[in-house]
Amino acid sequence: MSCAQAAPYTPGSDDQVLAVLPAGARHTSGPNLELTRSRLDIALPLAQFYISRSRATGDLRFLGYAEAMLAPWMKQVPVPSQVLVLHATILQSRHSFDAALAELDRALAQRADDPQAWLTRATVLRVLGRYDEALLSCQKLAVAADPAVTTLCVQGVMGLQGHLQSAYAAIVALPQQALPPEARAWRYSELGEMAERLGDDGSAEHWLREGLQTAPDDFYMRTACADLLLRHGRAAETVGLLTGYESLEPMLLRLAIAQRGINDSVESNAVAQLSDAFNIEQQRGDAVHRREQARFLLDVDPHPREALAAAEQNWQVQREPEDVLVLLRAAQAAQQPQAAAPAIEFLKLRGLEDARLNSYLKGKG
Amino acid sequence: MKRLVALLGLMLCVAAAQAHIASNGFLTAAVNGRDVKGAIELAVRDVELAVGVDVNRDGKVTWGELRASGPQLALYVRQHLALSTQGQDCQVSFEPLQINDRVDGSYAWLPYAAVCPMIINKLNIRYTLMDEIDPSHRGLLTLSAGDVVQTGVLGGTRMLSSFAVDTPSHWATFIEYLEAGIWHIWSGIDHLLFLLSLLLPAVLLRSGGHWQPVTHARPALISILKVVTAFTLAHSITLTLAALDIVRLPSRLTESVIAASIIVAALNNIFPIVTDSRARIAFAFGLLHGFGFASVLSDMGLPQGARVLSLLAFNLGIECGQLAVVLVVMPVVYALREGNCYRRAIMPWGSAAIASLALVWLLQRAFLLPV
Repeated sequence: MSCAQAAPYTPGSDDQVLAVLPAGARHTSGPNLELTRSRLDIALPLAQFYISRSRATGDLRFLGYAEAMLAPWMKQVPVPSQVLVLHATILQSRHSFDAALAELDRALAQRADDPQAWLTRATVLRVLGRYDEALLSCQKLAVAADPAVTTLCVQGVMGLQGHLQSAYAAIVALPQQALPPEARAWRYSELGEMAERLGDDGSAEHWLREGLQTAPDDFYMRTACADLLLRHGRAAETVGLLTGYESLEPMLLRLAIAQRGINDSVESNAVAQLSDAFNIEQQRGDAVHRREQARFLLDVDPHPREALAAAEQNWQVQREPEDVLVLLRAAQAAQQPQAAAPAIEFLKLRGLEDARLNSYLKGKG
Repeated sequence: MKRLVALLGLMLCVAAAQAHIASNGFLTAAVNGRDVKGAIELAVRDVELAVGVDVNRDGKVTWGELRASGPQLALYVRQHLALSTQGQDCQVSFEPLQINDRVDGSYAWLPYAAVCPMIINKLNIRYTLMDEIDPSHRGLLTLSAGDVVQTGVLGGTRMLSSFAVDTPSHWATFIEYLEAGIWHIWSGIDHLLFLLSLLLPAVLLRSGGHWQPVTHARPALISILKVVTAFTLAHSITLTLAALDIVRLPSRLTESVIAASIIVAALNNIFPIVTDSRARIAFAFGLLHGFGFASVLSDMGLPQGARVLSLLAFNLGIECGQLAVVLVVMPVVYALREGNCYRRAIMPWGSAAIASLALVWLLQRAFLLPV
């Protein structure tokens, strides 16, 4: 493991810059810290600020700072429901989905109509492949949330349950202006994903590119778009799409795959950085990038057996269509077809439609 | 509704698995007996959050700023990272700060050395670095003891973690102490010189106030055997008593008397008083040399659960080392015994040299003079 290799040195000059501090990552003095412990109206917006910084920069440390803002409030009895919802958001971002659900249920026990809690709950359940429950949570939104947001939530889940065509049509019909600005990128990414599952890659690319114009920092859409291009062997365009985002492991992973497609060699730097990051995560016991790790072991640094192990661990954490795909691929690469059984059963049981999977399964047969 | 809109953005990226890695500290610990050596590494960014490094508030941390914050950092680490064994804290000292570059940025690399009050069978680590600033921070531990390496995760809700330091197998312990015994007799030249002083005349016979070479090997061998056996028997007794803490003598006393014993044995070769029972000298002073060996052993410590075994191995090592020297030196001495040179020069002058060297030791040890 290369991260164990320490090569410490003494910088030659006092002026050498060791770190550029991102906004919001400064030492906080005692009195200011005290305020966040005594005033919920200060702690909550700060926690939200850190979560949004984490989202905008992809920097996981900000989730930790947000958690620190909430920590004193988590000891209160009862814990304020807004605190629980934000805590659930942090847990969800770390892929601690079961823990996130537990926090949301506690929050909803206090405030049964909290739309934020229901929306987050729907999203988590959807990632877990528990579509029936996700749908129920989406429907609860109707009471307090924007009807367009409810539609987006409901149709998004329906699209995974054997109603892909009608769900796609419903979301296409949803006027962009009907949505609150923050939900517009969501519509685009949902449309892009649905079109891709329908096998209409042209439309998928159109939606994702349009979405990226609205929200250039939406990492989900950018990686989805990169995956689409990579699937069509458009490596050079992928590099163009991802350049400038190398500090994010999922982007770096796709960049490495693209480089491999172009000149059949990957910068050893990128390989080292990715495997370091995955190893550290593994040692911590985190599961945020297991799917990426499996793809890394399939497409960048091929180790089929380890790739299957990562894909199987990932399957225990999340069950999105992407996760089905990576498990199928890993099982095939490792020549252990029986390892794909849970994914195939999942597809049958849920009625999940996905052109990528179909062509893959056909190709395999 | 307003709040939903404000927060909604957060939820939408749920499926995106993206991010830099979370905050980690890297702790290495190499355990050896009572000692622990290693380094703690914290990201420069995390050091800023913990102690406030960016004094000029320009949003950049320079090496000069970090270096100036070295004492605060050491203090912070002292407050949030502690090593202990069996409930007793280990004394930690830090060495100068350095920098290590990792995939997610530069890290402050702080080497440390710790001494624990006893041999470490279980190392307890209290790790609360960054805990109030970033609860997702974890310490990634690489703990090594000999060839055995284990990893662990520190921090989070578990402030205190315990790690069994794999006690080496009995065989490995045996070899370790055997080697220590051999090494000690070879590097502790005073014991060898004492033995040599007693063995130099073993190839001679005292008759009518003069030294005569023995005519055949047999009496020489018997003499050597007697001296070595007596020395071995005596120091084994006291080594055991001291190592098991049954008898204790101040080391200044034993070390001084050991030096004196060499003078006595060497002078006895020049002005013979005891000629036919040098084994008694060997035995009497051997008792004191045993205490000398024991002081080495108490520095090393006897491992729990293998005290007798390691004591035996250490003693055997001493005997092996001693025997090896006897086997090399005595044939040479035996071959030289007939020449005048041996009786007139080597033995008296060699003994005189040994005695003078031992006198220096005696003065140093008894009066604690500088070397």
